[in-house]
Amino acid sequence: MKKRGIGLGCAWYGTGYGNGFPDVSSAFVEIHDDGSATVLTGAVDVGQGSSSIFAQIAAEELGLRAEDICVNTADTDVTPDSGTTAATRQTYNTGNAVLKAVRQAKSRLLTFAAREFSCPTPEGIELKAGYIGVKGDPSRRMILGYMVFKARLNGERFISAESSTARSTPVDLTSGQGAPYWPYSFGCQAAEVEVDTETGKVKVLKVIAVHDVGKALNPTQVEGQIAGGVTQGIGYALLEELELQKGMIKNPAFSSYLIPTALDVPKIEAYFVEEAEESGPYGAKGLGEPAMLPTVAAVINAIDDAVGVRITALPATPEKILQALAEKKEELG
Amino acid sequence: MITIEFSVNDKTYVLEVDPRERLLDVLRNRLGLMGTKEGCGEGECGACTVILDGKTVNSCLILAGQVHNSVITTIEGVGNRQSPHPVQKAFVEVGAVQCGFCTPGMVLSAKNLLDKNPHPSDEEIGVALSGNLCRCTGYDKILRAVKLAAEEGKQ
Repeated sequence: MKKRGIGLGCAWYGTGYGNGFPDVSSAFVEIHDDGSATVLTGAVDVGQGSSSIFAQIAAEELGLRAEDICVNTADTDVTPDSGTTAATRQTYNTGNAVLKAVRQAKSRLLTFAAREFSCPTPEGIELKAGYIGVKGDPSRRMILGYMVFKARLNGERFISAESSTARSTPVDLTSGQGAPYWPYSFGCQAAEVEVDTETGKVKVLKVIAVHDVGKALNPTQVEGQIAGGVTQGIGYALLEELELQKGMIKNPAFSSYLIPTALDVPKIEAYFVEEAEESGPYGAKGLGEPAMLPTVAAVINAIDDAVGVRITALPATPEKILQALAEKKEELG
Repeated sequence: MITIEFSVNDKTYVLEVDPRERLLDVLRNRLGLMGTKEGCGEGECGACTVILDGKTVNSCLILAGQVHNSVITTIEGVGNRQSPHPVQKAFVEVGAVQCGFCTPGMVLSAKNLLDKNPHPSDEEIGVALSGNLCRCTGYDKILRAVKLAAEEGKQ
């Protein structure tokens, strides 16, 4: 018989290295006389899209388009260290370093432009749609690249180096006080499953995932990362089991260590809550790892809801479910 | 060594090969077609997918000697930056690419499906892509993109 059930899972997750471990990201920025800018940072984009995020941050600050920004990453010859792409930290930590670096270069550009425009204060200068000009006075503006060119003729270049260190402290083991991580990320997911009581096979039909991302700097990437996390969570809950024998992996192949395929994924609905994280770039914080955490609990709870058995060791394979069903039947006599 | 003649992306090649060479290596190392990726190297992940005589195959499992007189399409033969294939256009529009390593294989599997079955059901799309593993996207946007490409094809 096929039985359906619904389960809920919630997660909170401290992003960054935590516990006072130095969590430092760095970035170099230069605004060029062709109206483009370069961001150099060690942060590795492994497909989650951090390079796009850094281009967006620089573009937002400089009134340019993301495609005007050249992001060079992960080249130890030229890029400053930004730690690992791990701990759900690149958008928040390196994003902050990029933002600080862009603002530093921009502030010197604004000062130079204020003099050029005879504007009494750099506060009166704005960067918008590829132009630099005096706020509220369309007659006093020029193409951004041209202003940078003028500066170069004067021997000035807008190059900056900045770094950002996440604020976390080790926990005091006596008092239990401290801020081991900063910031925290939150998420909640609901899963609907169908359990075949004859075969023990579980099919996940639908997952609704809601995550607090502070601010979604790139909503498409947020949705993609949530769907990726949900699918990895389904693998974690139902399929993936690393078998070890005397320290050797017994199943080091995709035919024996199963990960979800296109046929294993449910309908995924991704939503995000934007509760600004004040210390993050434009209020953003990390999402990467938290996206997969609630899935496991939601699926296991949904199995319980469907057939009344509690699976306590992952993955919930058909064998384990059939065994639990048999034990339950025995208990009921 | 043997001589094989085969067509890749509408271009005919005559090559002297060791018949035990993998098609994947012939494409990448001899023809310089780097869009075909090597993932697992044992026919499980689909990153090295190419279309061989109308069928999607894992090029890591095909030997050079097997492709004599064959017609092969690799990702380099499916649209380009100026005029992307409808599947590629849909991938970009939906945001179906994350790290991109599985993308060439995904696009070829999707293209071959739509060539044969322009109006596939969700299930048929899932089956067509089930030999291509992806760890980033959760397949969600990839499946949506293929569906979009199929819908655009209807109009």
